[in-house]
Amino acid sequence: MRVEFNANGIHLPEIGLWLDPKETRDAAWLSHGHAGHASAPHCTIFGTQETLNLYRIRRSEQENLPHDLRPVEFGQPFEFGKARLTAYPAGHILGAAQLLVEYGGERLLYTGDIKLREPLCGLVTEVVPCDHLIVESTFGLPIYHFLSAAEARDRIIDFAQTCIAEEIMPVFLAYPLGPAQEVVHALCAEGIPTAVHGSITRFFPEYERSGYAFPGWMPYESSAAKGRAIVVASGTRNYLEASGKQARVAYVSGWACLDNARTRAGAEELIPYSDHADFEELMELVERSEAREIDVIHGYTEPFARILQLRGRVARAPSAAAYRDEAEG
Amino acid sequence: MDALAAICERIASYSSRTRKIHLLSAYLRPLSDEDLVRAVQFLCCSPVRNQDRRGMAVGYATLRDALASVTGWDADTLRLCFREVGDIGEAASLLLFNRTAGEPLPLALAEELYTELYNARKVVQKLDVLQSCFRRFRPLALKYFVKVITGDLRIGLQSKMVEEAVAEATDTTHEAVRRANNRSGDLAGVALAARRGQLHEIEARLFHPMDFMLAKPLDALSDLTDPENWIVEDKYDGIRAQAHVAGGRVVLYTRGLEDVTGSYPELVRALSGLPGSSVMDGEILAWKNDRALAFTVLQQRLARKRLTPELLEEIPVAFMAYDLLYRDGKLLLDEPIEERWRLLEELLENRALPLLLSPQHSAAHIDDIDRLFEEARGRWNEGLLLKRRGSAYEPGRRSGTWLKIKRPYATLDVVVTAAEQGSGRRATMLSDYTFGVRSGDGFVNVGKAYSGLTDEEIRELTRILRSLATNHFGRVYVVRPQVVLEVAFDGIQRSSRHKSGFALRFPRIVRWRRDKTPEQCDDVERVRELYEASLRQGVTEKQA
Repeated sequence: MRVEFNANGIHLPEIGLWLDPKETRDAAWLSHGHAGHASAPHCTIFGTQETLNLYRIRRSEQENLPHDLRPVEFGQPFEFGKARLTAYPAGHILGAAQLLVEYGGERLLYTGDIKLREPLCGLVTEVVPCDHLIVESTFGLPIYHFLSAAEARDRIIDFAQTCIAEEIMPVFLAYPLGPAQEVVHALCAEGIPTAVHGSITRFFPEYERSGYAFPGWMPYESSAAKGRAIVVASGTRNYLEASGKQARVAYVSGWACLDNARTRAGAEELIPYSDHADFEELMELVERSEAREIDVIHGYTEPFARILQLRGRVARAPSAAAYRDEAEG
Repeated sequence: MDALAAICERIASYSSRTRKIHLLSAYLRPLSDEDLVRAVQFLCCSPVRNQDRRGMAVGYATLRDALASVTGWDADTLRLCFREVGDIGEAASLLLFNRTAGEPLPLALAEELYTELYNARKVVQKLDVLQSCFRRFRPLALKYFVKVITGDLRIGLQSKMVEEAVAEATDTTHEAVRRANNRSGDLAGVALAARRGQLHEIEARLFHPMDFMLAKPLDALSDLTDPENWIVEDKYDGIRAQAHVAGGRVVLYTRGLEDVTGSYPELVRALSGLPGSSVMDGEILAWKNDRALAFTVLQQRLARKRLTPELLEEIPVAFMAYDLLYRDGKLLLDEPIEERWRLLEELLENRALPLLLSPQHSAAHIDDIDRLFEEARGRWNEGLLLKRRGSAYEPGRRSGTWLKIKRPYATLDVVVTAAEQGSGRRATMLSDYTFGVRSGDGFVNVGKAYSGLTDEEIRELTRILRSLATNHFGRVYVVRPQVVLEVAFDGIQRSSRHKSGFALRFPRIVRWRRDKTPEQCDDVERVRELYEASLRQGVTEKQA
């Protein structure tokens, strides 16, 4: 099966399908709610119901939404042209999915953004055997090791409770779609009063629809009172700092694996938990996929492809430059 | 090492200075005497007691090779990992994650291993020791085991804070610990003495450098209300040095507490002839025809690899002594300056070049100081040093009993090209700036400065510089040249480190020029002009 990698996304010309295109295309697969920039009315978009809903929330009212949004069920194959497509859970964020494309006797698996271990909110990833694997490598270096969901939850709750006991305001920085909801979910489930920034709460209804509750959350205002935790998106740090409050900041991200994240994010506490796979998970994923051929996209594409090559795999880093900007925030 | 590493991680996660000190003192307090000594020693990045860390000769290449052979990673992967992490100890711990036997590493064993590394003559032996460490111990312990070797823990813990933690953990005062540490230069020994109530027994040891007393800048002469209470000396533009002399042995230490004895054979010859034992504070100067030559001339001598007889003749040096800290078994720090100077004069009674005694003057009026300043400038010296009558010698302090009046030098408008995170209170801010001047269409670096701005300004600059960042290497962010600073400095020297070919000496930020654009910065030609002007001063001198 032919696969073309270019700056606008991944194209399967024989099938006429684009994977996470950055511009409008006739038919596109949306792997998860972070992705996708197609917005013209005439195109067809496939994705899980959750992904399509999150995609709709992310677009403004004024934008032209595609008329043809086609929800896809996990594990239910469907025909598209001469190909058979099946979505499988990818763990990354709510609704995130891998896509298996079967065509001409070949199995191509596109992971999209993926994590192997169970997330705090979302489904467990299913490893799908394939011939050709297109895998992300946001954290494709052997220095990245993340906490499990249970470990991360304990760290998050412990940090919040310790701060509150010392009458300091615990502030969590996390990516506003995915990791942030996981942090709020953990805090609220523990009964810790939590104020949350609007860039995060706007996705709550979709999470609640899927059964993830945020009992007792309140909207974040700059004059947040003592005794509660704050969850904000990374950029909000600036005016928090300016307000001069007695606060301690925790950064929940895969990048928090490195001490230099303290400067990068302006945080004191580092909680290395991510919606992406860490290095071992990526290696395990590649191993268990039994793929004969691997393309690496996003992040450390060339180094990760080389690591796979040194382990005897057929691996490439196609058009590395085109994908470099797409990493987790 | 496991518990020490765990406490270091917690210290890193608090930016509050007092919090860091409390955490550390709570860790130190219950340790056995032996472990207290080891822990403090390691916190000072001194792997082997009373030995210079560099004597271990374990550098980047050795650590990298040991890691490569244990982890099996190729050179390219390792290089990229080191670049992303920015600290080799931290990188080692991440690369060894879940891959070691997980044995505990008690402090006593760490000390044995450091000693083994220190004593190993051959690189292969050092590699053997490191590889076995990397296979055996827990990654977190190894992170700090390696950081002690590379010499920077990077947890925002300055040496003053370790002193304070030692004081808190031993129920003594910071002042007492600081004084003892200044005398002995061995904080580990000081910690033990403090716990045993024997701090008063700590005395200075010859051939261990003490911290230097520092002078506060006096901005305006009019700020000086009581000129009659000050002793006035010329301020020399040389290399500050501490001379330890006993039984024919001589060691010269610089302010970095570095041993530079080998560079000045003529001083060693002269000093070794002095009677008894002594520690002197003074300045190493390029000296000819009864006066000091410009610092750039001294630099030219230091730049040469080999000290030939021709060079010693071309650029001779002198030691300008101005204080006496120790004499024949007695520490003189608490003696008044008049007494110290009297003893110094007595010691140097039969002096001859290259030994000099810095003349002292008195002033009855501000006008006298004005005149002395002009005279000092007439002797090509930097300015004046004012020392309060009756004052003690306070190592490592800038207490205000010494004041300096310097010649004003031109300032330069420069643009920030890179920024690095600070330490301690400034750990979350970008507070160290590399800056450049215009050259063609771009900018070339001429120096790096980290002081002179308020915390408010640094906070604001951090925000701006983060948004200008184009790339980062560990703690250093490369930024688009936009922010303009005005910097003052004490001189310009040739530099192979900067593309401009020049480096500013002691640059400090005067102010943030929000009113200027990068295009309005000074250019490399202006820097060259200033450099050549300073050189002419030295050249004129040599011809005179």
